[in-house]
Amino acid sequence: MSSSHSKDSLSFLGGRIPPEVESLSKNLKDVDQELFRKILKAVVSALEGKDCTEGMKSIAESSVIPQERLCHIVAGIHRLLSEAIRIPTALLKQEIFKEDLKELRIPEDFITDFSSVVFGNHRAALEAATSQKDPHLPTLEELKWRVDVAISTSSLARALQPSVLMQMKLSDGRFQRFEVPVSKFQELRYNVALILKEMNDLEKRSILKIQN
Amino acid sequence: MTSIIKETQSIKEAVTFINAIDVNKFSRLISRIIQKLHLKGERTFSEEEEEKLQAALSLDKNALNLVLETSAFILEQAVYHNVKPASLQQQLEMVHLTPEKAEVFSQTWATTGPELVEKLKCNLFAPKKLEYVGWQLNLQMAQSSHARLKSPSAVLQLGLQGEDSEVQENVFVEFNHQQLLDLYNKLEIVQGQLDSLT
Repeated sequence: MSSSHSKDSLSFLGGRIPPEVESLSKNLKDVDQELFRKILKAVVSALEGKDCTEGMKSIAESSVIPQERLCHIVAGIHRLLSEAIRIPTALLKQEIFKEDLKELRIPEDFITDFSSVVFGNHRAALEAATSQKDPHLPTLEELKWRVDVAISTSSLARALQPSVLMQMKLSDGRFQRFEVPVSKFQELRYNVALILKEMNDLEKRSILKIQN
Repeated sequence: MTSIIKETQSIKEAVTFINAIDVNKFSRLISRIIQKLHLKGERTFSEEEEEKLQAALSLDKNALNLVLETSAFILEQAVYHNVKPASLQQQLEMVHLTPEKAEVFSQTWATTGPELVEKLKCNLFAPKKLEYVGWQLNLQMAQSSHARLKSPSAVLQLGLQGEDSEVQENVFVEFNHQQLLDLYNKLEIVQGQLDSLT
């Protein structure tokens, strides 16, 4: 990652500055802090996945700024925030971020507001919400289990066979209920332990090898 | 010791037919039946095979059916009560099966019986059974919402076999480190329960 700040590249926006961000400072002229904060709040809740049509409607109706300009402002703020949140805080420091925004000629007060979203308490919730939208396989939300011993069946008067019944609730809402024969259970347990060990090894190695 | 085979009318009839069958042919027949005994609802012989059997054993359709069903019944009772081969032989002779035919039953039971009992023990009711466990460990470098990640993620593939279906259903579940650790801890608790049974 280049650490030099030329006009053409900002630390967190990469190579080219998107047009909606480039024009943000121009579009924010005559926008007072109160309006700016309202828009910022609406964009943040949109990023969290919440429905913000009501909020946006009231902003559009109550302000003197023409709708088209409002759209550009919203687009610019949305893009700016999404890109900033992508980068881990360890790599994008607050001071650099503020410097970058200064280069974009964003007013000082607004810079503070932006900063408090990107680096404040709300950051973790935003990150969690945005990563939900990314492609991923279902995760395990809940695991319920039961150990049974079959005493007798229609084929065997004396069976005395233990078995494990599992019910998995997945993050995509599906339920999977299945029996795990004891031998398969051992195999499952062994494999999970093995993956954990490999994960530990991987985490130790990756810190050393892959540079930031 | 209660007899596992009661001498009903249909048993008497079946015995008459069975006693008349050539012993080698009968031996092969019983071996085949016991192999398929654990599969519920499956016919031991196809329509074609049954027709061939009718000819080979000089039995008409009804007689053949009776012989097949009775033989299967005898074996099922042996499994259910887990009788000893010697006891089975004795009981069959008591319903007037010839000693050589009774011996076919008890020999087959002695050799294949234990395996069958194990198979049936595992045949418990469940809509699906876990048949296959596979996994993949990935190091996620980035995604749309996050750059520079380096987070390990594991994908567990569980192959579930439905009772009636031939096809295995694959369930893929993703775990990060903490989620996998939680799963492991749960599995350890289950293991503790299993251990307390023995």
